[in-house]
Amino acid sequence: MKRILALILATLMVTCLFAGCSKEDNSDDLKYVKDKGTMVVGITLFAPMNYKDANGDLIGFETEFAKAVCEKLGVKAEFKEINWDSKEVDLSSKNIDCIWNGMTITEERKANMSISVPYMKNKQVMVVKKENAEKYAQSVEGAKISAEAGSAGEDLANTDEFLKKGEYLSADSMATALTNVHAGNADVAVVDYVTSIGSIGEGTDFADLVVVAGKEFSPEEYGIAFRKGSNMTEEVNKIIAELMADGTMDKIAAKYKLTEQLIKG
Amino acid sequence: MGINPTAGQIFKALLEGFWVNLEVFAVTLALAIPLGFIISFGSMSKFRPLRCWDKSDSQILRIISKFAPIKLVTRTFVWIIRGTPLMLQLFVVYYGPGLLFQTPFRSPMTAVLIAFVINYAAYFSEIFRGGIEGISKGQYEACQVLGMTKSQTFFKVVLMQVVKRTIPPMSNEIITLVKDTSLARVVSGVTEILHGAYNYTRMGLIWPLFSTGLFFLAFNGILTLLFGYIEKKLDYYKG
Repeated sequence: MKRILALILATLMVTCLFAGCSKEDNSDDLKYVKDKGTMVVGITLFAPMNYKDANGDLIGFETEFAKAVCEKLGVKAEFKEINWDSKEVDLSSKNIDCIWNGMTITEERKANMSISVPYMKNKQVMVVKKENAEKYAQSVEGAKISAEAGSAGEDLANTDEFLKKGEYLSADSMATALTNVHAGNADVAVVDYVTSIGSIGEGTDFADLVVVAGKEFSPEEYGIAFRKGSNMTEEVNKIIAELMADGTMDKIAAKYKLTEQLIKG
Repeated sequence: MGINPTAGQIFKALLEGFWVNLEVFAVTLALAIPLGFIISFGSMSKFRPLRCWDKSDSQILRIISKFAPIKLVTRTFVWIIRGTPLMLQLFVVYYGPGLLFQTPFRSPMTAVLIAFVINYAAYFSEIFRGGIEGISKGQYEACQVLGMTKSQTFFKVVLMQVVKRTIPPMSNEIITLVKDTSLARVVSGVTEILHGAYNYTRMGLIWPLFSTGLFFLAFNGILTLLFGYIEKKLDYYKG
């Protein structure tokens, strides 16, 4: 009996704790972050957004972008790896102060968090050998189409009116899908533009591969997520506009081959 | 498959995947055994085109006279195949022709079967070589006395003894083959059982991955009984 009582009490206490959390006022988040002097940035590692270079140092488009914004805010950026599936909990429990990791803006996320202006667009694209680009821009009938199992690309290859005319070949990663096209085992790879653009073209082993121009699927936009009701969002939006205007964003994006993906003003 | 597949649907999908494993298993076994015999003959070949220098006064010529090209080729082949991972060989067979000669494999399954047959033939050849070389010289001499030809000696006297002697090491290899078939998934488009199970882990279901073990365990159980039966049947002669 005592144990059951203890369990009920514990459950009640935890519930109160969570209830307390959700009701917490985030309207002066800016002051909270400025007072402690660091902004904890929640990331997961993936190129070209946040990843480690040969020396083990964190680099990437989002890494440099976050540092530039923090510099203007007058705080230090501290990067913290999170579990993507529990990012909302990390954010509301103040383990992190923002999610800054090529996060796609969705209605659901907008309802649960405060999201910055979109700063970058992404899309799913077809990657083919240079000489086949024109042919497959017309039709992929009879072509073999490879995509990573479980990815948005796989979905498209099987459901999209244009793409499902080809024969689907499942690959275990994006790199395998690209290798299939490079070696000729498949004709088209359907991949995420932002994550794949760094691995094809000049200077890579996939120098013979190009993105088919004018064929884009499931366009999406990236934003930074702050706690719901946070006043950080407004401040950061202002800084993003400044960085876009003074060319800082262009410089960072060019470094990671993402210039065309920036959303300016 | 719906959003939340039932256990029955999952087992059916896994069984379909396991069918691919069984295909790889059956074809590999059927083709690798004859190929293994051919390779083992190569490894035992005594063909020496320069044997005329055997009794030469020059030591260098005597060393050169030991040169046996067929044996050298097959033993190098066995060294390469046994010395590199099967997974790497799968990549080389699948991507190699496309990357080197612009004639890519369009059928992933063909590439998988070629890689498996070559790999297992190399292992089998060494088992067969052991079996054949283990037959005592006296038996060959007896056959010669009886006036049997070389092929008669091999098929009527040697072969059945080799089969009997190599059953235990072969059953080892064959059981390993059953499990190795799951490596076929590294070639894009080969949807064997683990490939299917990993698809479920992406949907947040881990138990299908672990339950794949049951399929392998059941099939290897049947094989174990079968080998036990064959060994018993061949036990009429103690040599």
